[in-house]
Amino acid sequence: MNLRRDHVAGGCIVLAAAVVLVISSDLPFGTLASPGAGMLPMLLIGLLMVFGAVLFVRARESPPLASIAWADLRHALPVITVACVATSAYTALGFLAVMPLMLFFLIFVVERRPLLPAAAFSISATVLAYAVFGYLLKSPLPRGIMGF
Amino acid sequence: MDVFDNLLLGFSVAFRPDVLAYGFLGCLVGTLVGMLPGIGPLAGISILLPVTFGLDATKAIVMLAGIYYGSQYGGSTTSILMRIPGEAASVMTCIDGYAMARKGRAGAALAIAAVGSFIAGTFGVILLMLVAPPLATFALRFGPPEYTALLVLGLVFLAYMSATSLVRTMIMACTGLLLGCIGIDVMTGHFRYAFDIKELGDGIGIVPVAVGLFGLGEILSTPSKTVTDKVKPPRLRELMPSRQEWQQSALPIARGSVLGFLVGIVPGSAHIIASFLSYAVEKRVSKTPEEFGKGAVAGVAGPESANNAASTGAFVPMLALGLPTGPVTAVLMAALLIHGVPPGPQLVNDHPQVFWGFIASMYVGNLMLLALNLPLVGLFVRVLQIPYAYLYPLIIMFCIVGVYLVNNSIVDVWIMLIMGVVGYLLRKLDFDPAPLVLGLVIAPIFELSLRQSLVMSSGNWTIFFSRPIAALLFAICGVLLVLSVLSWLRRKDWREKLAEAEAGEK
Repeated sequence: MNLRRDHVAGGCIVLAAAVVLVISSDLPFGTLASPGAGMLPMLLIGLLMVFGAVLFVRARESPPLASIAWADLRHALPVITVACVATSAYTALGFLAVMPLMLFFLIFVVERRPLLPAAAFSISATVLAYAVFGYLLKSPLPRGIMGF
Repeated sequence: MDVFDNLLLGFSVAFRPDVLAYGFLGCLVGTLVGMLPGIGPLAGISILLPVTFGLDATKAIVMLAGIYYGSQYGGSTTSILMRIPGEAASVMTCIDGYAMARKGRAGAALAIAAVGSFIAGTFGVILLMLVAPPLATFALRFGPPEYTALLVLGLVFLAYMSATSLVRTMIMACTGLLLGCIGIDVMTGHFRYAFDIKELGDGIGIVPVAVGLFGLGEILSTPSKTVTDKVKPPRLRELMPSRQEWQQSALPIARGSVLGFLVGIVPGSAHIIASFLSYAVEKRVSKTPEEFGKGAVAGVAGPESANNAASTGAFVPMLALGLPTGPVTAVLMAALLIHGVPPGPQLVNDHPQVFWGFIASMYVGNLMLLALNLPLVGLFVRVLQIPYAYLYPLIIMFCIVGVYLVNNSIVDVWIMLIMGVVGYLLRKLDFDPAPLVLGLVIAPIFELSLRQSLVMSSGNWTIFFSRPIAALLFAICGVLLVLSVLSWLRRKDWREKLAEAEAGEK
């Protein structure tokens, strides 16, 4: 079988709906006169399975899976990884420690821009954002274990 | 009070210096958001939503709405000068706007786009002012069955109008509704899908989902190599269109304004559909259709007017019925709810200052945008010269900060990151994430009204068909579904024909 885009999309939807169905087993469906917390989720899971199956069955109309371009993955992967690392350190180390590092890493390492402009931009953008959010808008930004 | 008195009340609010300042800020940010690739109005509004928490409801909605309609103005700049749509509704402007720029008429194209946007935006506000209050009065007759039917109709309409297929849209909408079920069930107190994460007790927020899907998702799928920063700002004296260009743009602006407003009321990505439809209409009625794609003035004036009128029209169901017609209005609705002002039929009577202040601020906002987008276009263009490699890390920082500040919750930031990856994958599989956000927003209202309807009828589901308004709304749903099935059987419908027609232009 020539695997097509909607084979994967439809299959994933049905599979995901089945997983949610399993973890929804403890939710009470109730009755029509007294609907329970599980009624709408069950209805939606049913609909997702039906629509996912339709997508799978009609997959011949979609382009081959191999035609999907993944060239941007080389950009997406490092970006999301850096964002995840920054997020995991965000509350522990604080805004002023994490954000300049994140900006610098993305600009200098990922985008391979010159060192000095990257460092200057990272520090000045962070300080400006800190001033805007922390002082002008009085929105509390997280302070890390070092107290800033 | 009649409309005139109400409008006076609105202007007394809109001309308050603080409201004016926030309206201006919204328009300014909106123009930038519309221009910059990788950040659309939805991401812009979502990121700035936490900033409005310290404001009252009027200032908050005036500023956020300013970002929305400001982005429609800003989107035309990159379309005309760089052939890059800053946001999706400007796609059609790229074709003839850029062609005009190559002929040395970039300034005229920008001026026509700005004036068309201004006229259409103002026209839209006038109709919004006239249509929304009576519609809200009518909607006071709605009970839970009618609201259930209305929300179902909204989703079906969205699916019918969607650029992707009905099945794909329904999958996204159902996923959004399912995500909206996370948290404590308000009727029984049952914890659903919380996985012992206490932050999920209140459910998944709209902001992390919207910022993740639209902001981060867009950044992940836009490598910096693909974004150009080579752009030449037009000189001020080049901005004046010729007499002939004014004449050629007059009727397209008028048609685009009417068409855009009508499409805007209908659920779906109205401003995008409106600009596509307007382009098709202009080409159809033109005496020189062969000019389209080569710098036709009508190809800029029509779509630009239509997308602005549509963005105003989208406020009608949001303000009058409490029904978001797209992800942007959904986030705006969430903003009003956060500020304790529920949009819907009671808004006009219970919060006249918010409603009429908002309407009046849109008149003022359109004037501000005209002033911002013509003389200052050179200044805005300089922002586009910031390399994307520096810009997107900054946007990621604002995404993290903005999402964190909503609830001071790092869980929200993780949800945003997950949604960013989901948004990236959805693009790869040709799913439009907008119905997911819409589903998430309406999930609580939908579930409550559905269950209330069943409880009040003692489980008799015919309640949805025995009440005239609900029955009518469900009948329209049925017609739309039948039309969708028929077009699928014919293997070609108006959307595909339109897409083919536009593809032929490029």
